[in-house]
Amino acid sequence: MSYFKTIVNGIVKENPTFVLLLGMCPTLATTTSAVNGLGMGVATMFVLICSNTFISLLKNLIPDGVRIPCYIVVIASFVTILQMVMQAYVPDLYKTLGIFIPLIVVNCIILGRAEAFAAKNNVLASVCDGVGIGIGFTLALTLLGFVRELLGNGAVFGYRILPESMNMLVFVLAPGAFITLGLLMAIVNSIKNRKAE
Amino acid sequence: MKKLQSNILNMALMLTVIAVVAAGLLAWVNNVTSGPIEEINNLAIENGIKSVILGDRDIQFTVDPPVERDGFVFHSVNDMNGNLIGTAVESTDRNGFGGALKVMVGFNPEGVILGYTVLEHSETPGLGAQADDWFRQASAEVKEQSGVADVILGAPGNPGNHNIIGLNPGDNLLTVSKDGGEVDAITASTITSRAFLRSVNAAYKAVFGYTAADGVSGASSQN
Repeated sequence: MSYFKTIVNGIVKENPTFVLLLGMCPTLATTTSAVNGLGMGVATMFVLICSNTFISLLKNLIPDGVRIPCYIVVIASFVTILQMVMQAYVPDLYKTLGIFIPLIVVNCIILGRAEAFAAKNNVLASVCDGVGIGIGFTLALTLLGFVRELLGNGAVFGYRILPESMNMLVFVLAPGAFITLGLLMAIVNSIKNRKAE
Repeated sequence: MKKLQSNILNMALMLTVIAVVAAGLLAWVNNVTSGPIEEINNLAIENGIKSVILGDRDIQFTVDPPVERDGFVFHSVNDMNGNLIGTAVESTDRNGFGGALKVMVGFNPEGVILGYTVLEHSETPGLGAQADDWFRQASAEVKEQSGVADVILGAPGNPGNHNIIGLNPGDNLLTVSKDGGEVDAITASTITSRAFLRSVNAAYKAVFGYTAADGVSGASSQN
């Protein structure tokens, strides 16, 4: 499989949110606004690319019996580095995403890709997979945040689109996350299936 | 290169090596970032003190070293003659909608609220997260509530009193109107509002030492 194909694969065919249904917890929790979704997606992508790279590099040095603890140590290190760097240099983004950053460690997308892809493929392919899945996750989260913020708050990225009187509060709250995710998934998959026919 | 076998020696060795390398890397990053992080936190406190005590007034002032007591942090602000202008208090309530809510409230020596700022919160964006603005707005323009639909869909008709600046927790009952108090809660965010007002009252109590709104306190100390 070509490297380009690996990237596209992560965005469309194996989109982590709409197709693989991985990492639902941060997906539902952080997408109260488009900016939060985007920030979470980019943060996850960073960790995913780093962990994929290193796990692919180390795959022959790590004995199978302890591979999961080793992967978790690698992933947790990158998450902690990210957390400290964000706190120091982008404090505003850290303020909004703060409590969700440590949770990237247990995001199953990252461990899933380490196990399913990086442990079996070479470094360059693993980086491409990280980029693809990362972009796919970021797009999905931004889209979800966009719809929820638009319907629930009327304003997206700080620009008011719908008047305040049309706000549907429920979309910013937890039930709105499930409703929006379900509908978006149905739309994306119906488009995909139509293309396949 | 062949994959290492899963015998006990290999496993113990590799896990140890990876853990040690990771720890070293983290120590280095921590070393690099701890300076800027502390700077940012100090700056946030400093700006917070300035905004809650002075607001838009531009006067020279000095801040005493912070005093920590019972989980509150006190910053006394003096003018250049050494007279107390006010006290900024960091106060935390653990029962916000999304977790702990940390605010800084500024009181003048009589106990009147000069200003406040939300330092840390995990409230819902668009709802509880409005606390930073909500309680400082002047009595908002009364909007028409067009009935049941608005309540269900959460249309923000914001009539009423939710400005706490200029009030004295000793004289005014600073609880949400649902609980019989004088302050209107943030639309659809009563829990956040309660947590916010609890931390304000706790801050007042911590500075002035008597129960908020007990009817005796603030009135006698004023004038």
